[in-house]
Formats: sequence, C-alpha cells, structure tokens
Amino acid sequence: MTVHEVQHEHAPAPRATGLRRLLVPGWLRIFWVTPLFFGLGLGLPVLIRWLAHWDPVWKGSVLVSVELVTTPLGFLVGLGGFDYWVRYASGRPTLPEDHSGHGAHSWRDYFRINTDHKVIGIQYVVTTIFFFCVGGLLAMLFRAELAQPGDQFFNPQTFNVLVSNHAALMIFLFIIPAFAGLGNYVIPLMLGAADMAFPRLNALSFWLLPIAGLMLIVGMVTPGGGPSAGWTCYAPLCSHQPLGQVFFNMGVQWAGASSIMTALNFLVTIITMRAPGMTFWRMPLLVWANFTTSLLVVIATPFIAGSQFFVMLDRVLHTNFFEAGGGGYVLGYQHIFWFYSHPAVYIMMLPGFGIISEVISVMSRKPIFGYRLMALSLMAILVLGFSVWAHHMFVAGMAGWLRVPMMVTSMVIAVPTGIKIFSWLATMWEGRIHFTTPMLFALGFLSMFVIGGLSGIYLASVPIDIHASDTYFIVAHIHYVLFGGSVFTIFAGIYYWFPKMTGRMYDERLGKLHFWLTFIGFNLTFFPMHFIGLQGMPRRVADYADRFADVNLFISIASFGLGASTLVFLFNMVRSWAHGAPAPGNPWRALTLEWQVSSPPPVFNFDEIPQVVGNPYEYGVPGAKHAIFGAPTPAPVPAD
Amino acid sequence: MRRGSVLQLLGIAVLAAAIASLFAIFIGWLPDPASEEAKRIHFVYWFTTVICIAVFSVVAAVLAYSVVKFRAGPDDDSDGPPIHGHTKLEIVWTAIPAVLVTAISIVSAIVLAQNGKAGANPLVVKVTAVQFAWRFTYPNGKSFGVLTLPKGRHVKLDITSNDVIHSFWSPELSQKQDAVPGQHNMLVVTPSRTGTFPVICTELCGLGHALMRSHVTVMTAGGFDTWLKSGGRAGGGAPGLAVFQQNGCGGCHTFKPANATGKVGPDLDNLKEEAAKANRGPLDKFVEESIVKPEAYIAPGYTDAMPHIFGSQIPPDKLKQLVQYLSRGAK
Repeated sequence: MTVHEVQHEHAPAPRATGLRRLLVPGWLRIFWVTPLFFGLGLGLPVLIRWLAHWDPVWKGSVLVSVELVTTPLGFLVGLGGFDYWVRYASGRPTLPEDHSGHGAHSWRDYFRINTDHKVIGIQYVVTTIFFFCVGGLLAMLFRAELAQPGDQFFNPQTFNVLVSNHAALMIFLFIIPAFAGLGNYVIPLMLGAADMAFPRLNALSFWLLPIAGLMLIVGMVTPGGGPSAGWTCYAPLCSHQPLGQVFFNMGVQWAGASSIMTALNFLVTIITMRAPGMTFWRMPLLVWANFTTSLLVVIATPFIAGSQFFVMLDRVLHTNFFEAGGGGYVLGYQHIFWFYSHPAVYIMMLPGFGIISEVISVMSRKPIFGYRLMALSLMAILVLGFSVWAHHMFVAGMAGWLRVPMMVTSMVIAVPTGIKIFSWLATMWEGRIHFTTPMLFALGFLSMFVIGGLSGIYLASVPIDIHASDTYFIVAHIHYVLFGGSVFTIFAGIYYWFPKMTGRMYDERLGKLHFWLTFIGFNLTFFPMHFIGLQGMPRRVADYADRFADVNLFISIASFGLGASTLVFLFNMVRSWAHGAPAPGNPWRALTLEWQVSSPPPVFNFDEIPQVVGNPYEYGVPGAKHAIFGAPTPAPVPAD
Repeated sequence: MRRGSVLQLLGIAVLAAAIASLFAIFIGWLPDPASEEAKRIHFVYWFTTVICIAVFSVVAAVLAYSVVKFRAGPDDDSDGPPIHGHTKLEIVWTAIPAVLVTAISIVSAIVLAQNGKAGANPLVVKVTAVQFAWRFTYPNGKSFGVLTLPKGRHVKLDITSNDVIHSFWSPELSQKQDAVPGQHNMLVVTPSRTGTFPVICTELCGLGHALMRSHVTVMTAGGFDTWLKSGGRAGGGAPGLAVFQQNGCGGCHTFKPANATGKVGPDLDNLKEEAAKANRGPLDKFVEESIVKPEAYIAPGYTDAMPHIFGSQIPPDKLKQLVQYLSRGAK
C-alpha cells in the first residue's frame, strides 16, 4: 500500500452541501427523521385500530407504549447510530473506515456518534453527573416535604413520583452507567488496546442513555400523573398507575439495553484484546471487577426487562401475568424483579471495588494484598449474587421454606466481601499513604461500606428483617452501601482519572473540602435513619407520626448540606477542566498501563503496543515492571 | 509487628468497641417489645449487635492506626515494603467471618421457627387490607377497623388484600407480613403486655399509604372475652363511623367528626357546599353516588383517583349507615 493510498483512506469524507446535508448523520437529520418516526408510531396503531373497528381508535396507553419505542429509534437513526450496519445488512458497500468518528477536537464532537472509547467515557461520565444532580434535587424536594409531619409542599401523588424517580435516576442513570463510563475510558487503556472491541456498538449504547433519562424525567410531568409506585414498581400497584408509569417501564428498557450492550463490549474486549503478555492473572483488579460485573449484567438484566414488559402488557393489553383476579401470580413480579435487582446491587458495587483497589494500592505505595484472592472473591460474589434474591421478600408471603436457605447464602456473601475489606486494610498496612482526594474517598468508602455491610448482616437475618423490612432502616442501609459505597467510589474514580481524562489537574484543596463536606453531610443525613426505622417509621411516606418530627427535621437540614457539597465538586470539575494545571502523564507514579501514555492519551492510545511483563501492583519491588514499550517482539499491525 | 504497636492497636479497638457499645445501649433503638415474638427478635438483634461491634472495632482500629502511623511525608517518594500476601492471615479472615455468620444464621433460624408456632388453640383473626384501611374479622363474624387482642394467647393473623399489596406491621409486636391479593399469609403474634400500639402499612400501596394507620389494643384475657361477647363496644360511636374507618375513608379525606385528616381527596366537612356546586340531586343521593360511582362527578381540582370498588365492597345496609353518617356530619 502506498503512502498516498493510506492518506486517502484516512481522510475525512468530503463535506456535504445543500439539501444533501439533510442526509448526513447528525442533528439536522435528527430534526426530520425523529418526527417521521413519531408519525409512524402514531399512524400505525391508529390505522390498525381503525381497520379492525376497535373503539376507541385513539387509545392513549397504546400510543404512548408504541411511541416510546419508535420516537427514540427515529432519534438514533437520525444521529447515525445504524448507518454502518444498514449498509452492511443491505449489501451496499460499507464506507471505508476513515476514522473521522474517532477523537474529539471541539465540544461538538461530544454531541454526535463518536466511536472513540475515550470520548464515549467522558460522554458517559458527564451525562451521568447531570442525572446525579437531577436525582439529588428530587431528593431535596421530598426532604423539604419530610421536614415536618403533615402535608406542606406536595400532595401524596407528587411525593411518590419524587421518591420513585429519585431512586430510578440514581440507580439506572447514575451509578450503573457512571461505572460503565469510567470503565469505558480506562479499561482499553489498562489492557493495552487501541479501543473497545465494538466501537460502533459502544457509541450506540451511550446514546440510549440520554433517551432513558429523558423518558424518566418526562414521565414525571405526564398529564394524569407520573410513575409513583416506587423504583421497585411492584405489581399490581404499578399496573394501575397513571400514564407516566409507561414512561418508567420503557425508560428502564432503554437503560437496560444500554447496560447489556456495554457489558457485552467489555466482555469481548477483556477476553480478546489484552496486550501481549497480559494474562488474566496480570490484569488490574478494575478489569477483573468490570469482567465480573459485565457477566452479571449480561445474565441478570434481561430479567428486569421481562418484569417491566409483563407489567406493561398487564396494563396496556390487559394480560394477567400479575393480576390475582385473572389467575396471575402476584409474587411472580417480585421474584423476577429481584432476580435482576439483587445482582444489580453487585453491578453497582463491584466496579467500585475495582476502583478502590487501584487507588489504595497506588496511594499506599504497596502491592495489593492477596491479589488472587481479591480476584477470586469477585467471582465468588458473582456466583453467590444469583442465589440471594429472595432476601428482599422475607415478609412477602413467598414459600416459607425458601427463607432459611436465602438467609444462609446472604450471610455467606459477607465472607468474600470481608476478604476484600481486610485485604485493603492489609494493603495500607506499613504503606506510605498519600492522602490525596481519591484516597480520602477510598477511605471514606472503606469505613462507610463496613457500616453498610454490617447493617446488611442484620437484614440478612430473617427475624430482624421481619422487624426492619420496609422501614427507614432499609433506607439507611441502602444509602450506606450505595452512597457511602458506590457513590464514594465513583468520586474516587473521577478524581483519580481526572488528570488522564482532561489532561489537567483538579484543585486538591477543593477536592478535600468536597470530601469532608460529603462525608459529614452523608453521615448526619443517613445515620439517624437507622434509629427512626427501627422505632417504627415506614419508608416512602409523605406523612409520619409526630414523634419522628425532630429527627426528620435534623435529617432534612443535613441533607441540604449534603446536596450543597455537590456544588463544590461541580465548581472544581468545571474550573479545573478549563484552567487547571497541565497534568503530567503519570501524576500518581502508578504502574498500570493507562498512566504510561500522555494525559490525555493519543487518539489510538498507544503509539506502540506495550508488552506486559509483570504484575500491575509491584510497588516497592526493586526493578519491577508491569509493561515495557518498544519490545523486540513485532507489534501486530492494526487492522483497517 | 512490635509489641508496642499491638498494644496501641488493641487500645484503639477497645476504645472503638466502648464507644459503639455506648451508642448501642444508650440510644433506645428498638421499641419496647409487646409480644413474645418481639422479645425473641430483640434477642437476635442484640446477639448480632455484639458480633458487629467486635468486627467494627477491629476494622476501625486498623484503619485509624494506619491513617495516623503510615502517613507519607510531603516529599516522601519511597514505596512501602513489597508484601504480596500472607496465606495464614487470609485463611483466618476467611474462616472467622464464616463462623460468625454461621452463628447468626443458626440463632436466626431457631427464632424464626419458634416465631412461626401458633400452638394448638390459637385465636384466628382475619386481616383484610384495602386501599387504605385495615379490617379485622373475628371468629364470631364481627369486624372492626382496629385490632383488639388478648394478652398471653397465641394469635394467628390470616392476612390478605382486596386490591394491591399492603404490609401489616406493629413496631411493638415486631412481626410483619405482606398482605397479597389472592393469597392468605399467616402471621403469629403472642401479645405479652397490655396497651395500645400503632398498626401501620409498610408497603407502598398508593396515594393514601402514609395514612393507612390503625391501632392494636392488647387487653387482659378476661377483658378481651368480655369485649368480644359485648360485640366490641369499645369501638363505640355511630354505626356509620365504623364503616368509615373500616373502608379507610380517612386515608384520603378530611372529616372532623371522625378525626380524619387525609388530604388526597376533597374535604368531607364541606359536603353540603360541594353538593350544591355539583347540583346532582339531594345531599344523600349525591353522597351515595360519590361513593358507589366516584367517576360520575369529580370535584374541581381533583382527578379520578378514588377506587371504584366501594360500590361492590360495602354491603347496602352499611352503605346506608355511611351515607347517613356523612350527610349528618356535613356542614
């Protein structure tokens, strides 16, 4: 191949002019394709109903269900999410890969189909932080309502909508995809790969996310009322909710589809695209964590998709999956739902474990203690995670014999989790600990997750769970594991990789301020909830007994402080991204591969393929190397 | 490890355990138990708490010690010792937690089995949940909106729901059970002291969920027999009031004569005014229609949120009592 040909192949396609611009993937095309698909979604059901003489021809719930599939599809078609595949499938010549979809040169490149895993990673993280802020604002709204017993600002319908969407946004649009975003950015780099295995699928999976988020938010303001059956959306209550519930059912589908696509991508990338010498036992623990998480996602997520489809069918087509009156099995919903949603707890936690392993080892300047057991305990949690779902149903009235076995498996999960906690402590022991912001969040995670884990032991015990189930004790527990656990690890990860992602250093003083405000605000908000829960305050109530008034006022005030701490984070991120000091390639003196390239990395990550020669955490081992560049082995030629 | 550092570690652990224990003992975490089952649940709770405090203290001590002792100086670029693991230590911290959680599991399983025993001759009370009220039906067929139980006798609650999932809980009795439509779930309670305790719904069941509250009154065995034979006069008040309470009207509506303060639906204290505005016939006809066919007229500012089940759920004689009660009480 001559030099001339190579340049020709890598040159961007010529710019379209005139009306042809309407056919180029992008926002112009979105503006006419989306209405077209909207029209199709409206026209087809109406036409079918009219031809079949069904009354009424216009049926709201049917139209909404169809529209929530077709309209987003129109958006994705306009954006260009399917162009390559459509050409391929229809037998037309595919466009030569010109790599114009790679890398970002201006902010506009973040608003199109971009196949660069680093751009997608940043798209993910920024989008999820946006939804984190929305979810947090909803929480502060209902904390305002809960500051006093009785009705103040919201009627019960609005209150239930706020509670339901707070949880749904935080889980489906923040924690799960935030980890997917960080993993997207870091994992190919850690593996020594140029990109993910399926860059186009990667781009598509990101763009499903804003669709899902928008659906949940629009659902809240749907005429007739938003989804108000809680994020767990138990049947049969949710089958008889206002129209907004359909937005919830479908929003979860889009988020779930995004999740599954990314997980498949991670799995294939990790299995097939490791650099030469990168055996499984030389992979950083974050890669191990995302490997196990992706297995969980691929196996479990179809179950929540099923549960939401069944509920929607019960509602729209009057099937009887979960309707007792029609012979349905009411508890079936909970079994299917928790068969996903308990593994989902680990989907929301294992990537965090990976992040913490990176941060603690690097910041303590010591190898991870018991590396293999750390990786194996992830696998143990993966397997056990599928055998504990019914501990969410100890009071539900399911088969009585199921309670003790599910209690035992739930208890046993404490063992691999304990191994991880003790191994992190042992990693720090006799280290040279640097208290940077990511390390502070890692320590905050460690201490808070221990409390959340111990309150989990209480809840695994059936008799205690019978008392504490569906009270504020549960609310306290899940916030200790999902906020003190997952969210702290996300913050640790964002601060840790901020220099790599943006090429600039964040402000360390503001970072520490953010940590302390969050840590204190978090404990003041959520610790008292253990108490009011055991005393008898149920969760998801707009009004409560007067004797809980003082504690609730305290919690509400603390929660506003906790919310305000996020402003420090946002300010730090925005200012540092724009004006921070330029980051060196390896500010933390870390050994893993992502730190061996410039910050931010070149468009194709590695100018030469690294040769992995050792373990990733050999701090303090004289002369130890994780990888060498410019090895004598011939580097494979990247396929075009 | 030097002996000095072991002692320091131990010191921090004891301090952490002492602080945690003070927290555990001096804050009244659990309500005063009012049933035999609650006492056993409290035992499991304290058994678990002791173990958790021990684990917490060890972790807190190591963490605090590390944070203080192993802090790197500002210009310290050195690395720590390259320790990769310690097989014996790893076996220890796999085995000890395994033993501890096994102990908690065994205690929990025993208590669970005991708490499910209703004995040979339990009092069976049928519990029916509706949006947003509880109905308690006794073997003699009488039913009430509040629960009355005898002290010292096994009671078997036969719990079901007429619409969505609810959950029966009294914090003092500790026992909890979901009420599931189409399914009869059993729950055993053995009240151990007299008094009146709250009963609440703990499963989100719709708009009136927060106000789906009732009471359980525990009487002496003798007092209970008298109460049951007298037809449950302890309920008292107009016959319409009982219907009002059993059907949970107060979960959504304000009505002063019944001390109801719900705010989901229209204020029933203004029924007369409302009837005039609606202009759908005389007051009692309007009230009856609004209960049986709530979608016929919807007060301005409200939606069609009232369940359409009351027409079939309330027997005609009870309906008459309720309509009378509401029409008379209205201003």
